[in-house]
Amino acid sequence: MNRRLKMLLIMTLFACISGGVLSLVYLISAPLIEANMLEEERRSILNVVPGIDSYEERIEGEMKYFECKDASGFVVGYALPAKGNGYQGVIKLMVGLTPDLSEITGISVLEQVETPGLGGRISEQVFQDQFQGIKTEPAVGYVKNQAPDKDTDIQAVTGATISSRSVVTIINRNIVKFREIL
Amino acid sequence: MAAKDDRKSVGVEFVKGFWKENPILVMLLGMCPTLAVTTSVINGLTMGLAVVFVLTCSSLIVSIVRNIIPKQVRIPVFIVIIATFVTMVDLFLKAFLLDLSKALGPFIPLIVVNCIILGRAEAFASKKGVFLSVVDALGVSFGFTITLVILGGIREVLGMRTFFGHPVLGEGFEPWIVMLLPPGAFITLGLLLGVKNSIDKRLKEKRSR
Amino acid sequence: MEVILIFISAVLVNNFVLSYFLGICPFIGVSERIESSVSMGFAVTFVLTLSAAITWLINNYILIAFNVPFLQYVSFIIVIAALVQFVEMFIRKTSKTLYYALGIYLPLITTNCAILGLALFGALRAYSFIENIVFGIGAGLGFTLALVIMAGIREELDLADVPEPLKGAAITLIIAGLLALAFMGFAGLISV
Repeated sequence: MNRRLKMLLIMTLFACISGGVLSLVYLISAPLIEANMLEEERRSILNVVPGIDSYEERIEGEMKYFECKDASGFVVGYALPAKGNGYQGVIKLMVGLTPDLSEITGISVLEQVETPGLGGRISEQVFQDQFQGIKTEPAVGYVKNQAPDKDTDIQAVTGATISSRSVVTIINRNIVKFREIL
Repeated sequence: MAAKDDRKSVGVEFVKGFWKENPILVMLLGMCPTLAVTTSVINGLTMGLAVVFVLTCSSLIVSIVRNIIPKQVRIPVFIVIIATFVTMVDLFLKAFLLDLSKALGPFIPLIVVNCIILGRAEAFASKKGVFLSVVDALGVSFGFTITLVILGGIREVLGMRTFFGHPVLGEGFEPWIVMLLPPGAFITLGLLLGVKNSIDKRLKEKRSR
Repeated sequence: MEVILIFISAVLVNNFVLSYFLGICPFIGVSERIESSVSMGFAVTFVLTLSAAITWLINNYILIAFNVPFLQYVSFIIVIAALVQFVEMFIRKTSKTLYYALGIYLPLITTNCAILGLALFGALRAYSFIENIVFGIGAGLGFTLALVIMAGIREELDLADVPEPLKGAAITLIIAGLLALAFMGFAGLISV
């Protein structure tokens, strides 16, 4: 019994020390980590909706979105976090929309694990800038290997149709869900 | 006389981690993070330094408490100690180096099950004094880091034309994207192992002449 | 159905060994013979499934409930280590033959990155209880698949003329690379 008790005590002791040390480290680092995440969020929102003075997080049902206002309190747009499956994994976006949801003010690819050099090029500014001013009705689309002639279309990354299509589908799907909520 | 032997053994203990007992190329440990994070030099370097921290601190603590811990529970205790330091590294990266934390992803917490660390604790730190344990830990983890940097360097140069973020190959070179993907990782490591083995063989032949 | 997608993804598209680099140590060490690969594969699948269930419970009812997310790594690995101990004791009591077949492999499963990796991924993706378990089964089967294919190749390799410096782990890694290349063909199977 003595041996078993000693084993139990030692294990518990180490577990407690571990828990204690980590709680301390967490207390110190948590505010920094939180600040980092908020800063990232802020940067991506400012990136996709122009003219923002302030924004507010809203949650309706399952959707989280940001209502963006200018200095006089007018709603200048919405920033919508969206995610879905790409070619190799999950793609996370931030989509900026005009207040009536008819036009995209910009997108930001936050996270992706697509093929580097091909699908990975959706992270390039050139691809993302295309979405500025794109109309959302009836739906956003894409074309391959030519300049788009409709104001709802963008040009897919050459050789990365699936990744580009995934981005477009994620945007469309989330705008539809968003329309139902607003 | 004893002092000179000690100094020699300290040097030997440190250097063995680089070649003779290289954790990746000889002991074949820690393969998982090796393959996953060597897509670039900075990623490999960061992982390597994280392991330096965790291995050194763990070996230090294990060596200090080695006589208090009953044999039967030594593995769980080692694991708790290792997991604690890994959590510290993870929180540190998330707070101060967020981009690197994201690039290394789940492989930072996976340092917990990195056989290198548990292996050193079991084979060395739980049996030897504090100073030697730390020296051993530093040697092995630096050997690990250098191997990661070499592998990362090869994959980054061939896959992205850059080294540590700086372009080294001109636009004329079409990057071998496969280097950044799993097949490239496996094959490069396999070839690197083959190179080390053939160098070893040649050294052995030279010595026997 | 979401669950089927998770399963297929874990087995083929994002195979734990060939895409995520998890479980490499046993992959290289155990894949010399098909028999041992199958045994190891099933042992790992068993532990993966149980650990998926238990770590889900810990994550949702303890870590999140008490707001101590930073204890995730410590608690997960302790649970996994304990689980492997219990599995080993259980198998030893119930089936001596199985125990001798798996014997040495069981303690090694604790340090198999795939187990902890699965627990972490599942928690990160906030799967439901059932989704986590299916994820575990799929990951285990994918691991077994990779191991068995590799063993099949290595058994044939015994008769081939491998250059001296490449013998052993080196050639295994190169073959793994070719396997990984083949498995990349499954990408895009689960599309939007």
